[in-house]
Amino acid sequence: MDRRDFIKLTAVTGTSAALASCGNPEHQLIRFVPDDDITPGIAEWKPSVCPVCSAGCGVNVRVMDADVETVRDGQRGVMRMNVAKKLEGLRDDPISRGGLCARGQAAIQITYHPDRVTQPMKREGPRGSGRFTPVSWDAAIAELVARLDALDDKNALAVVVRPRRGQRTALFIEFTKRYGAPEPIAYELFSDSAVRRANDLGYGHAQLATFDLARARYVISFGADFLGTWNSVVSQNAAFGEMRQGRKGVRGKLVQVESRMSQTGAAADEWVPTRPGTEGFLAVTLAQLVASDAKGAVRHPDLSPDQAEKVTGVPAKRIVRLARELAENGPALAIVGGPAVAHTNAVYTASAVNALNAALAIDRPGKPGGLFFTPGGEPGRPTAVAPGLASAKLLLIDEANPIYTSPKAWRVRETIEQIPYIASFSHFIDDTTAYADLILPDHSFLESWVDATAESGAPEAVAKSAAPVMKPIHNTRATADVLIDVAGKLKSPVSLPWKTAEELAKSAAATSHGPSAISRDRLPNRPAGRQEPPVASRRFEEPRFDGDPSQYPFHFLPYASPAFGDGSTAHLPWLQELPDPLTSAMWSSWVEINPQTAARMGIADGDLVDVASSQGSLRAPAVIFPGIAPDVIAMPVGQGHEHFTRYASGRGANPVSILAPITDSDTGSLAWAATRVRIARAASADGSLILFAGEKYEKPHEREVR
Amino acid sequence: MRPGAAALKGAALFLIGALAYACGSQGAVSDDVYTPAHRTMSAAVRDYLSIRSTPQQPIPFPHKTHIAKGAECTDCHETVEKGPIAGIPSVKTCMICHSQIATTKPLIKQVTAYSDKGIDIPWQRVYGFVHEAHVRFNHAPHIRAKVDCATCHGQLKDQTVAEHVVDHTMGFCVNCHRQKNAPNDCLTCHF
Repeated sequence: MDRRDFIKLTAVTGTSAALASCGNPEHQLIRFVPDDDITPGIAEWKPSVCPVCSAGCGVNVRVMDADVETVRDGQRGVMRMNVAKKLEGLRDDPISRGGLCARGQAAIQITYHPDRVTQPMKREGPRGSGRFTPVSWDAAIAELVARLDALDDKNALAVVVRPRRGQRTALFIEFTKRYGAPEPIAYELFSDSAVRRANDLGYGHAQLATFDLARARYVISFGADFLGTWNSVVSQNAAFGEMRQGRKGVRGKLVQVESRMSQTGAAADEWVPTRPGTEGFLAVTLAQLVASDAKGAVRHPDLSPDQAEKVTGVPAKRIVRLARELAENGPALAIVGGPAVAHTNAVYTASAVNALNAALAIDRPGKPGGLFFTPGGEPGRPTAVAPGLASAKLLLIDEANPIYTSPKAWRVRETIEQIPYIASFSHFIDDTTAYADLILPDHSFLESWVDATAESGAPEAVAKSAAPVMKPIHNTRATADVLIDVAGKLKSPVSLPWKTAEELAKSAAATSHGPSAISRDRLPNRPAGRQEPPVASRRFEEPRFDGDPSQYPFHFLPYASPAFGDGSTAHLPWLQELPDPLTSAMWSSWVEINPQTAARMGIADGDLVDVASSQGSLRAPAVIFPGIAPDVIAMPVGQGHEHFTRYASGRGANPVSILAPITDSDTGSLAWAATRVRIARAASADGSLILFAGEKYEKPHEREVR
Repeated sequence: MRPGAAALKGAALFLIGALAYACGSQGAVSDDVYTPAHRTMSAAVRDYLSIRSTPQQPIPFPHKTHIAKGAECTDCHETVEKGPIAGIPSVKTCMICHSQIATTKPLIKQVTAYSDKGIDIPWQRVYGFVHEAHVRFNHAPHIRAKVDCATCHGQLKDQTVAEHVVDHTMGFCVNCHRQKNAPNDCLTCHF
């Protein structure tokens, strides 16, 4: 082609493009009259509460005008609204103290997600297909009312909720009471039931403790990833910052005991890998050593450092040194959580750590650098999922996704499939909502009244409620308002103490600040008549594992992902593209393998490996990771959704699917770290592992281009 | 370049320009995005050739009439003193008065019809900077410095629909800033 042809061609394509782009007026969207009083270009900051985890951090929302594409009375158009633009920490919040984690920052994408359920929907395809067709709110509510009216016998109603969602759960309880059904199921994969149970036995508080890290000089954490994923992460990070840098000349030491290095392990001064399930034994041994150092007490014969070395795999010398450091560097503090209490002996382990805290004498009330309980914290609720569903004829799902978060062997999917009618209040079609017959989409948290009562994270009782920061952008309704509406329309109405979602949210403060709030002075007192034998004299409970060690030589550790937690935020693209803090992997699933193990099995970085348990198998790329014990295989939870928007559906593998249905003997909660697996190299790298750092694992096709 | 080729190029540019002018002047908006800066190719060409179309307002709003009756600019463009943007008033603002005043006139009936349907009047912008000029203009300080609206927007008391009578070139802004000893640093206006 010469220049002349090129110019001709440019002219021709140019004119045709210009013609094609001549706008059609019918493409122009109409503008609706704005509801808000808008000062364009001026931002306001409004408080709200982060919904992502149960810590309940306050958020500060930047609100400014924007053109929002929306539907009003079936007509598409543009409306100028005051909408949320950015989430930040709320400075005066007693929990977050002005901080907000990555998951909280990304929560704004819940509101503007392209795959939100924007209107009520009825199932169209078969159950689980995720195909729905729009219906009106009137029709949807009428249908739910008719279905509820048709319920005759007890136990016919089942409700699955997310744990510790404040007053919403209270509203569902009114419904279950009315139908004589069991309380709402608040199943949680990474449950801390064992820690709550141990705290109930030891301190008379069935809740997670708050730790005065800021004034501690020495902290030993047994499995609790308290800087990454466990409990009230933002408040714990703030306190940890003070422990390290807040005091002149004092830098608190952190020791992390765990078999796979977490974010907290990476921040620790010392990382102590133990055999999975033996953390409790290490804790009691340390407690004995600390007590004998301090008071010359007789050592328990079974708890010698040598015996501990045999059980836990930690060298005896190291145990003795750790005990000495703990005794000499008070106030010292022990924390337990995460994988350490995901075994069959979870309550033993948690009680053992409580015993260590007792030996360190830091659980006296008011003592700096100790632990205490946030007054008025919401107690844990029953967590078993399958039994409550078996007899149900009508299931209500509120933002819970038990099909994704429970092991296959519990047959939750099959049980749910057999329930005649399912209604979901979710604003996304996830693995469980895909089985619903009716979706009554909730507002996003920024569009509705929200409330939270902190279980831990602050020295004083914390209850919050906040008004909507913006008007709803879709045809959704606050679940509280829908339930109140339904309650009034039933043949024999459910009488509720609240008339609106606003009243419900505002009642959060009233319930938690009541005169029954626990005072700090009562802390160490055990309830009368309950005498728990000191844990040190309790025999060590060997953890039980599923799978014969000869056939399944590795411990399998599915850990809470720093980005997705238990998978509930996998639909947010900011979190999908957040590099994992330890491996830098993103947008994918991966299996962490110790370098020695990998070398022995001929597995290279990025190779696909099959991980098989007695319950099934999955395939994912390998990450050779030095921060893991040679006999442990770890995998983040969060990917592998069948249905969860365009960003998470069909991406990666779900490690929960291959877990054995093995539970902690005391609380009945899933022992999610008690499954053994075998691994085998399946294929060479296929590019499914996406790493942010290093560019070591470029995709094969990219290599060809270069 | 041979003379023939130059003529061809000129002809091609003219053709594009003419087409762009013809179709762009309808004030059409389409969903196409030609480049991040220009929605359509015609918009790009028109920008390059400095062709500015006259906005076609849905209702010929008579500024003259309102000002003659004693209305102040800020009565309707109410956010001008509060924030960066003067704001084109929504139909709600019209209805503050026109739910009572002159309700029988045909143009007011049109306004009422919009209001009844809950649809805003699709007014077209007359002034404003293109995004890629990277100008951040803030009305409020200009109002505080007692700059008359007419300095930048012409005498609206003589106009019916607002017309683009003042070109907001950089020279226009800088000259005034010099005269009034306002800051002339780049970052005062550009980001």
